[in-house]
Amino acid sequence: MALNVLIVDDSGVMRAMILKTMHMSGLPLGEVHQAGNGKEGLETLNQHWIDLVVVDINMPVMNGEEMLSRMKENPSTKDIPVVIISTEGSQTRIKRLKEKGASFIQKPFSPELIRDTVRDITGIGGDNESAT
Amino acid sequence: MNQQLNDVLFSVAEETLEKLAFMFVAKDYDRNDIDYESIVAASILFTGPFSGRLILTISTETIHELSANMLGVEEDETSPDQQDDALKETLNVICGNILPAIAGKEAVFNISAPMIINDIEDIRKNIENADGKALASVVRMEIDGEQCDLFLFIDGEIPKGFIK
Repeated sequence: MALNVLIVDDSGVMRAMILKTMHMSGLPLGEVHQAGNGKEGLETLNQHWIDLVVVDINMPVMNGEEMLSRMKENPSTKDIPVVIISTEGSQTRIKRLKEKGASFIQKPFSPELIRDTVRDITGIGGDNESAT
Repeated sequence: MNQQLNDVLFSVAEETLEKLAFMFVAKDYDRNDIDYESIVAASILFTGPFSGRLILTISTETIHELSANMLGVEEDETSPDQQDDALKETLNVICGNILPAIAGKEAVFNISAPMIINDIEDIRKNIENADGKALASVVRMEIDGEQCDLFLFIDGEIPKGFIK
């Protein structure tokens, strides 16, 4: 199964890096959508079937934490797995995000960490799937 | 200048540039000044248990390699906007990792959006004046022989119990 992914980050370079790293990690990617903030991300979720959301926290217009909260309030998006990839270093904030149901990866990240995190929350991708 | 603080800044910058852009930095012990004519700079403000500003400068030669490596393309394929974006994101990641290394992982900081400082005089003013903030640490580095510096300015002093 290929994952339809939405990557939300206000940095175009970081979106490209995350996508490049997901390719390198061997994850089976289907459609890839990108958004520059949480508001655009929610609009994309309304228009496309998405299996996995990768989102930054600090963004203009709508940050990643608010986007996550809005997703959890909406029956059609509340069960979509969310991975937050951020520079956030405070365990206080990271704990709060995890309590909302998101996984967390701190920048800078490795392909292996992204692969293992996505595999843990979706059960899809990486070495295990390619071996079966 | 505090050696322990300098070590934290260098360690985080080294790891970030290696992981983000496959670039290897070394400390530049012999250099004490900056060639303002051949650098680009980005600045980021933070508030929290202590507040301040972090500034990253990098040579105009190295910025092409930084952005190309982050994007996975050739150096002549990156646009000026992508080069600015790469520098800002690098500084953002460095800042996000330096603050908990200084203040501990429970400390909560608010970090502003990073900004490019375009004008040479503005770069000089930000580094030499810094809105009255005190220079807490500076790490002079080199990447393939090109200058790369990281400056930490803070309001007042770093609180007791944090790194000293």
